[in-house]
Amino acid sequence: MSKVLMKGNEAMALAAIKAGCDAFYGYPITPQNELPEYLSKHMRTHGRAFVQSESEVAAINMVYGAAGAGARVMTSSSSPGIALKQEGITYIAGAELPAVIINVMRGGPGLGGIQPSQADYNQITRGGGNGDYSLYALAPESLQETVDLIKESFEIADYFRNPVMIAVDGLIGQMMEPVDVDREVKKWDLKPKTWAADGNRKDHPKNIINSLYLDPQDLENHNIKLQKKYTEMKENHQRYELINMENAEIAIVAYGSVARIARTAIEILAEKGIKAGIVRPITIFPFPEKAFKELPSSVENLLVAEMSMGQMLQDVKLANECRLPIHFYGRVGGIVPEAEEIAQKVIDIIGGQSHE
Amino acid sequence: MKRITILSGYYGSGKSEISVNLALQKHIDYIVDLDIINPYFRSRALHELFKEKGIKLVESTIENMPNSDMPYISRKGVYPFIDKSVTAIYDLGGTENGAKVLIQYQDQIKDFDEIDFICVLNVFRPETSNKKDIIDSIILLEAQTQLKVTGLINNSNLINETTEEDIIHGENIIKSVSEELNLPILYTVIEESKKKLIKHNFLGEELVISRIVARKWL
Repeated sequence: MSKVLMKGNEAMALAAIKAGCDAFYGYPITPQNELPEYLSKHMRTHGRAFVQSESEVAAINMVYGAAGAGARVMTSSSSPGIALKQEGITYIAGAELPAVIINVMRGGPGLGGIQPSQADYNQITRGGGNGDYSLYALAPESLQETVDLIKESFEIADYFRNPVMIAVDGLIGQMMEPVDVDREVKKWDLKPKTWAADGNRKDHPKNIINSLYLDPQDLENHNIKLQKKYTEMKENHQRYELINMENAEIAIVAYGSVARIARTAIEILAEKGIKAGIVRPITIFPFPEKAFKELPSSVENLLVAEMSMGQMLQDVKLANECRLPIHFYGRVGGIVPEAEEIAQKVIDIIGGQSHE
Repeated sequence: MKRITILSGYYGSGKSEISVNLALQKHIDYIVDLDIINPYFRSRALHELFKEKGIKLVESTIENMPNSDMPYISRKGVYPFIDKSVTAIYDLGGTENGAKVLIQYQDQIKDFDEIDFICVLNVFRPETSNKKDIIDSIILLEAQTQLKVTGLINNSNLINETTEEDIIHGENIIKSVSEELNLPILYTVIEESKKKLIKHNFLGEELVISRIVARKWL
């Protein structure tokens, strides 16, 4: 199919339909409302389920139930709404169920604002709910990448039997871009869901969906099993892109919308004769530590740019292993950094005007 | 151009960008932002430009609370219907639901000859990609607003990826709507950077626009 012009939220919704999402449960919140609105219209015509629940807590527990029954299931919300879902998310991770959760981030803390933000980084990558669990978290920068990754995320969720978080911000949700929603994405090697609680069947024993383990040894064993998944994600499924890195003297580390702005920033810098590259994490969990080992020796400084007060900065510090000086530029509260601001920060760093 | 232009169309059809460009090019006195659907990328972000050009903006936000996320319509929106000496562009919210807000002006809209009610169309938006869907949307729009659509704008584009063939493809579909409903294509929109690539003679006035509402890196 040829390209269509879509708004981010609609494109995400359509991607879910294309990926065979059986059921969507959600509760409205700006700036992601067009997503459930689109699905409320179109899920029914595809014979799928759509429920606008009475709350975020209800929605995530419906996801828990449908995932337990073996359905491909999704929910979406924005930052404070995702905070409300955390209890359900840790249950889903604990019960080893696949689900796709879209977070169209807005400013915080608390109710915050409705403009774009990346300040849920810690909430997404450090759990958010209780216990030792992680989400596989993808942070696309364009609508095409968002559509492709959402389609693949259902496969990833099924493969790991773990929730996948699509971490975008209000800008991706609200912007318009041409997309090809039928582009082929990677198919994962998936086994039949013999663990699903899908009725008394002859082809598998009775299944119980549960995250309660009262015996400490059972619970420790369960945790060790879960940890193996996260280790596999870290070892084999980091994703990132290195942009314009050849002979670059500085690398801007940025994901999602900010990476997109950084692309314009490096063009501005090139006009001034400054070679800057971008390390673009595509997974924020697992954090792409491997990218930092591939940086050319020409890189003398790192600049972390994000729409938070420096949440990803912590991961960059760990991945950098004290090799390069790290600088930071962040805007928060719904203010989106302009390309010129990021370019100016780079100029300040190179001129010795910026301190780590 | 008539004294009052009301622009409608699905969100993402390009209404806001066209409103702003038309207002600047045609020296319009008022832009009335009636978009209560979409809290992002609204013409309200352009206060300073309007001030400089002497365009009065009637906003869809509560004063000093531009991000309140509450649907709000200013009473000032009625002025251009009452004061016959001014020109105005009304920027309606996306979808037929966004257009409902027009009904409040029903008592003031008396002289239909001075109003153009225009549907902005981009055939690369899935909701308006073919003749039938466009006609259905116009019927729904007219039912919701109690106003007759008087013209169409061909704004078929894929943003940076737009080619001349894309605009022609849009024109062919919109022309079939135009013929069926007996509505003129008033403008064909061409983005500034694509202008030099265009050789085709499009229907209606050629409206060359620059991207004022959207940011450069989008």
